[in-house]
Amino acid sequence: MHKHLSSRSALLDENAALHAQLDEAAETLRAIRSGEVDALVVQSSRGPQIYTLQGQDAETNRFRGEMLAQVSDAIIAVDGDERITYLNAAAERLYGFDGPRALGRTLTTIFKSRWLHPQDEAAARTALQERGEWRGENVHVRHDGHELNVESSITVLRGIDGLPTGQLAVIRDVTERKQNEDRVLVSEIRYRRLFEAAHDGVLVLDAGTHRIIDANPFMTQMLGYPRDQLIGKELFEIGLLRDDAASQEMFRNLERAEQVRYESLPLESPGGRHQTVEVVANLYEENGRPVIQCNIRDITERRRSEEHVKLLMAEVNHRAKNLLAVVQAVAYQTAKHGDPATFADRLSERIGGLAAGQDLLVKSEWKGVEVCELVEAQLAHFKELIGRRVVLDGPPAQLTPQAAQGIGMALHELATNAVKYGALSNGEGRVRIVWKIIADSTPAFSISWLEDGGPKVAAPGRKGFGQIVIGRMAEAAVQGVAAITYGESGLSWNLSAPLEDTLTVIQVAA
Amino acid sequence: MSVPAPRTARKAGDPPAFQLRLYVAGQTAKSLDAFANLKRICETHLAGQYCIEVIDLTKTPQLAAGDQILAVPTVVRRLPEPIKKIIGDFSNEERVLVGLDVQPINA
Repeated sequence: MHKHLSSRSALLDENAALHAQLDEAAETLRAIRSGEVDALVVQSSRGPQIYTLQGQDAETNRFRGEMLAQVSDAIIAVDGDERITYLNAAAERLYGFDGPRALGRTLTTIFKSRWLHPQDEAAARTALQERGEWRGENVHVRHDGHELNVESSITVLRGIDGLPTGQLAVIRDVTERKQNEDRVLVSEIRYRRLFEAAHDGVLVLDAGTHRIIDANPFMTQMLGYPRDQLIGKELFEIGLLRDDAASQEMFRNLERAEQVRYESLPLESPGGRHQTVEVVANLYEENGRPVIQCNIRDITERRRSEEHVKLLMAEVNHRAKNLLAVVQAVAYQTAKHGDPATFADRLSERIGGLAAGQDLLVKSEWKGVEVCELVEAQLAHFKELIGRRVVLDGPPAQLTPQAAQGIGMALHELATNAVKYGALSNGEGRVRIVWKIIADSTPAFSISWLEDGGPKVAAPGRKGFGQIVIGRMAEAAVQGVAAITYGESGLSWNLSAPLEDTLTVIQVAA
Repeated sequence: MSVPAPRTARKAGDPPAFQLRLYVAGQTAKSLDAFANLKRICETHLAGQYCIEVIDLTKTPQLAAGDQILAVPTVVRRLPEPIKKIIGDFSNEERVLVGLDVQPINA
C-alpha cells in the first residue's frame, strides 16, 4: 500500500514537473511571439549556445544589406568551410558571378589567389589566426582566367561565443592603379637613366628661389663640383652666368617665353678649365611646382672644329687660286715652248701630274706629303718598274705642300723625259731617286734623279718648259738650287734646299 | 503553490528576502528595458527586500545551464523558494508580480 502511495506521489511530482516545463515552454513561446526575447539558449555538445533572434532586427539587417550592395568594393562572406554565405553586387560584377549561383559554393569556384611573394600566403594565414585580420595585396584569377590585382581586407567572423564562424573580405580592384604605378615606375626608370647617363649637363632649378635642386652626374663632371656642392647654388655662383643681373634677366625671359637659349656662353670650372657651352632652359610644372630645367652642352670641341673648318675653307680658297695660277702658267708655257700639235697631250699630262700631287695633299689634309708617296704617285704610269729599273732610296721625310707641288711637277717632267729620251726609253736603263737630309750648320734637304744605262743625252738646244719646271720652278718652290747634268750615262738632276723650306717636321740626325 | 513573500522588516546584515537573477544576452535594448522594468517593480513593491544579479550569457553562456534558461531576458527568483522564472521585458507589471508571487504593496 505504502509502495503504491509512494509511486503515486512520484507520478504526481513528475506530472507537476512536466506541467511546469510545459508552462515554461508556453511562456517562452509567448515571449518570443510578443517580441520580448533577445536570444535563445540551445544546449549543444559544447555547452549552452546563444542564438540571437533576428525578429525586429530583420529591418536593420535588410538596411545593412542594401548598404553593402551600394558599396563599390567587393564584399564576400564565407563560413568556416570557405563556402560563400554572402556577396554584394560589386563582388558579382568583379568576379562575373551571379550571387545565387555563388552562394554555398567554395570561394575557389569564383577565383583563385596568386600571391605576389611566396611568403605572403603564410603571413596572411598567421595574421588571421593571431590577430583575426589581414590586409594586403595579391592577384585574384577569376574563373574565366582574367587576372585582377586586388587589395583585400579580411576579418575573421566570430559567433556570439567568440569562436570563428567564417571570414569577411572587403576587396578592392586595384588593377588599373597597379598598371598606372607600373607605367610610372617604367617611365621613372627610363627618364632617370636618360638623366643619369646624358652626355649633356642637366640642372633642375626651383623657379621661385632660382636655386639648383638637382644635377645629373655629367653636370658635376663638367664643373668639377660634387653634386652636394651644386645643390642650393644659383647659376651665377657656379660660373654659368656672369652675375646676378644676368641671372635675373634669364629668369625674366623664361617667365615671358618659357624657354631661353644661349648659343654660346663661357664657363669656367673651379679647376680653371675654360669651356664654351650652349644652354637651353625650359620652365615647366612638376606636380604644380614651377621648375626650370637647364640643358648645358659643352660645345668647346664643336666650336674648335667650326673654327678649323673656317680656316681650312680660307686655305682651300687660297690654294685653289694658287693652283689655278700654276695651271695658267703651265698652259702658257706649254703653248709657248711646245709643238702646237702635241699641246693638248702635254698640257693634259702636266695637269695630271699636278693633280696627283694635289690628291696626296688633300689626303693628308694639306699637312704635307711623304717623299716616297710623291715619287710613287708621279711615276704611277711606270709602277711595274719601281723596285727593278727605278729605285727609290731615302729616309721618311714629309714635304710641305708647296715643296710637294714643286718637286712633284719636276719629278713628273723628269719621268716623261726619261721615257721619251732617257734611261727608261730603252730596255736596260735605270733611274735612282735618292733623297737625304744633310745635317749641317744649315740643315738641308737634297733630292736627286740619277739616270744610268740609257741612250747618250745632250743638253737641249733651247730651254723648253720642262727645263723651267725642273729648274726655276722647282727652285722657287723650296728656295733651293737645282743642278742638271747631261752625262754620258744619262741625265742627273739634283735639288737642294734649306730644310725649313722643304719639310714639315724637321728631324736632323745627330 | 507558493508562499507569499514575508513582509517583515529586514534586519541589517540579513540577506534580502527576494534574490533575483536576471539573464540577458549583451546590452541590447530589450535587456536594458527588462532590467529597468524589473528594478522599477521591485522598488515599488519590494523596496529594501530584494537584490538583482545580472548575468550576461554572451560572456558566460555556461551559466545558462544552472537555471535551465531557454530564452533571454529571463528573471529567476532564487529566493524565496520555490524557484520561479519569467521571460520577457517585464513591461507588464501584473504579470511580473504574479510570476514572482509578490503581493502588490497597495493591494
